[in-house]
Amino acid sequence: MASLAVANLVHRKLRSALSILAVGLGVAMLIVMLGLSHGTLDEVADRIQSVDAELVVLPQHENIIFTGGAAFSEKYRPLIEQVELDGRRCVASVVPVLFDTVRMGGQQQRLFAIDAADLPIFLGPRRLASGTFFEAPLRLAAHLDTLRNAQGYYDPTRVDPAALDAACELLLDSRLALVGGYRVGHTETILGRTFRVVGIVESGVAGRVFCPIQVLQYIKCAGMPWASMFFVKLAPPPTGHEAGYADRCAAAIADRTKARVELKTAYGALLAESFSQIYMYINSASAVSILVCFLFILLTMYTTVLERTREIGILRSLGAGSGYLVREFMAEALIICGSGTAVGIAMAYTAKYTIETVRPLLTVRISPTFLFLAAVIGLVGGIGSALYPGLRAARIDPVAALNFE
Amino acid sequence: MTHRSDILLEARGVQHAYREDGRTYPVLHGVDLTLRRGEFTLIMGPSGCGKTTLLHILGLMMHPTAGRIELDGVELTGLPDAERTRCRRERIGFVFQRFNLLPILSARANVELALRLRRVPLDGQVGRVLEQVGLADKAHLKPRALSIGEQQRVAIARAVVGRPAILLADEPTGNLDSANADRVLALLRDIHAATGLTTLMITHNERLADVADRVLHMRDGRLTE
Ligand SMILES: Nc1ncnc2c1ncn2[C@@H]1O[C@H](COP(=O)(O)OP(=O)(O)O)[C@@H](O)[C@H]1O
Ligand SMILES: [Mg+2]
Repeated sequence: MASLAVANLVHRKLRSALSILAVGLGVAMLIVMLGLSHGTLDEVADRIQSVDAELVVLPQHENIIFTGGAAFSEKYRPLIEQVELDGRRCVASVVPVLFDTVRMGGQQQRLFAIDAADLPIFLGPRRLASGTFFEAPLRLAAHLDTLRNAQGYYDPTRVDPAALDAACELLLDSRLALVGGYRVGHTETILGRTFRVVGIVESGVAGRVFCPIQVLQYIKCAGMPWASMFFVKLAPPPTGHEAGYADRCAAAIADRTKARVELKTAYGALLAESFSQIYMYINSASAVSILVCFLFILLTMYTTVLERTREIGILRSLGAGSGYLVREFMAEALIICGSGTAVGIAMAYTAKYTIETVRPLLTVRISPTFLFLAAVIGLVGGIGSALYPGLRAARIDPVAALNFE
Repeated sequence: MTHRSDILLEARGVQHAYREDGRTYPVLHGVDLTLRRGEFTLIMGPSGCGKTTLLHILGLMMHPTAGRIELDGVELTGLPDAERTRCRRERIGFVFQRFNLLPILSARANVELALRLRRVPLDGQVGRVLEQVGLADKAHLKPRALSIGEQQRVAIARAVVGRPAILLADEPTGNLDSANADRVLALLRDIHAATGLTTLMITHNERLADVADRVLHMRDGRLTE
């Protein structure tokens, strides 16, 4: 049955090739756009999972991604630390992070300002590829502690400028170091100050750029110990109370602080949620691009009907019914869309490889769901774009078609 | 006297008028025609007298304005389109003046198409018929690569491969030189002699009168013996 469809495709090689290419481009565009947007977020979410903590405490009404400022005052920290569950303290440690953005390695990077003492929580088992951990920042922290009053504030004018300058240190992850060509000893001007790269850690850590939180607090908050968010490491659950322990702790902390408390594992979903608007645009753009491709196929199938009027007349004279004609057109469209989808998937993987080679900080994640989606779209598009032309062909008057020049 | 069961096709009072720009042009004015099984009938008439129109109506390619057509005692003009298409596919073979082969298919694939459409298995018949029309060795060629005489022989093979009840041939030699025309006529005769296929051929060429068992004349949209 497919022989006529195949013969037609072979007969018009350029048209077939262009049609397959059109579908391929549409499918590749869809997969790459989805893969890039989801991949980049997933990669961020995965890195967050590397932090040795169970919960994240976020400002209630702020978008998790665009949280950059100092959202939490120093009052939150003891509040969280003292939360109790069943008459027992449930928080082992509270890890503040203050965010900012810096431009490094050719793109915006989120700057993770953390306490040098909290580094093990961020690094976990990962080792230094080169350099050292923060040392001068530990000395700055000790120096600042001597200046703090009961409320934790200090007078910025009394800070030793040499200690501050010495503490302007950066830790980078190896991927960013590779992309930006950064080595230990490299200096970078951030927020008007000269920072020095002191160490490079294995990639997979939460941030690509770390700096001491005391330095950023000095620069941004006049020394006030504020934070953008907290990671919370929980005390081990009492035996017999393991089930749902983290959730109950989260609820208790949320109740106490009125902040938004989420499981670290929910971070990916939170990211996706905060990006839902952008996803909507991306998905719409992808949908439109694929739609345009199928309109193109519909149009070619339709002009094919006109172009083959005489052939359709011949088929009708041989007794081809509407079912046969629709099936032939459908077979042809399905071959185009099927090959186009296959080509598109191949192009998507090529694009993924190219993008990740040229821009190593980007992640294109092609999930089976996207491939399945592409296959379904190819199938539906093939059937859809053949149906109308096929039905039209079946309605052509055979005698008029035979006389058609 | 003819037995009813001898009659394959019967047309009664077939009229047809073309409509163009709101005016009607009558072409057939009540054609009566009876074709007996196994007969080779020729309808002769000048160009434009309505022969092709009649053949298209008998071949269920178009509806007559009035009249009845029975094939094997079954009235066909009132059947739904799908049934008429099925009847055309299974019971009628067409040969046209312009061959009407599909240019993208090889000679063999053109012949096979008639069987594929009927959804019957391709068991050697295609090869045999191509052999019969003398084109077994050129079966792989596209129509473009064949001479016009060869093209018409492929068309004949396609028309008869599915063993239709009737073969309708519309000026099959009209586009051929006399040598090729003779060969095609001989082929049609041979097929008729070998299979007893009921054949109705139309032509405006008076020279062909002797190929048929019976010759009818068409004038002013009517048939006379
Ligand atoms: N589609 C059409 N529309 C209008 N007139 C037509 C059409 N087809 C044929 N005719 C006219 O009908 C007459 C008979 O045509 P046709 O059956 O082709 O004659 P023949 O085959 O005997 O030459 C001619 O005058 C022709 O011009
Ligand atoms: Mg004619």
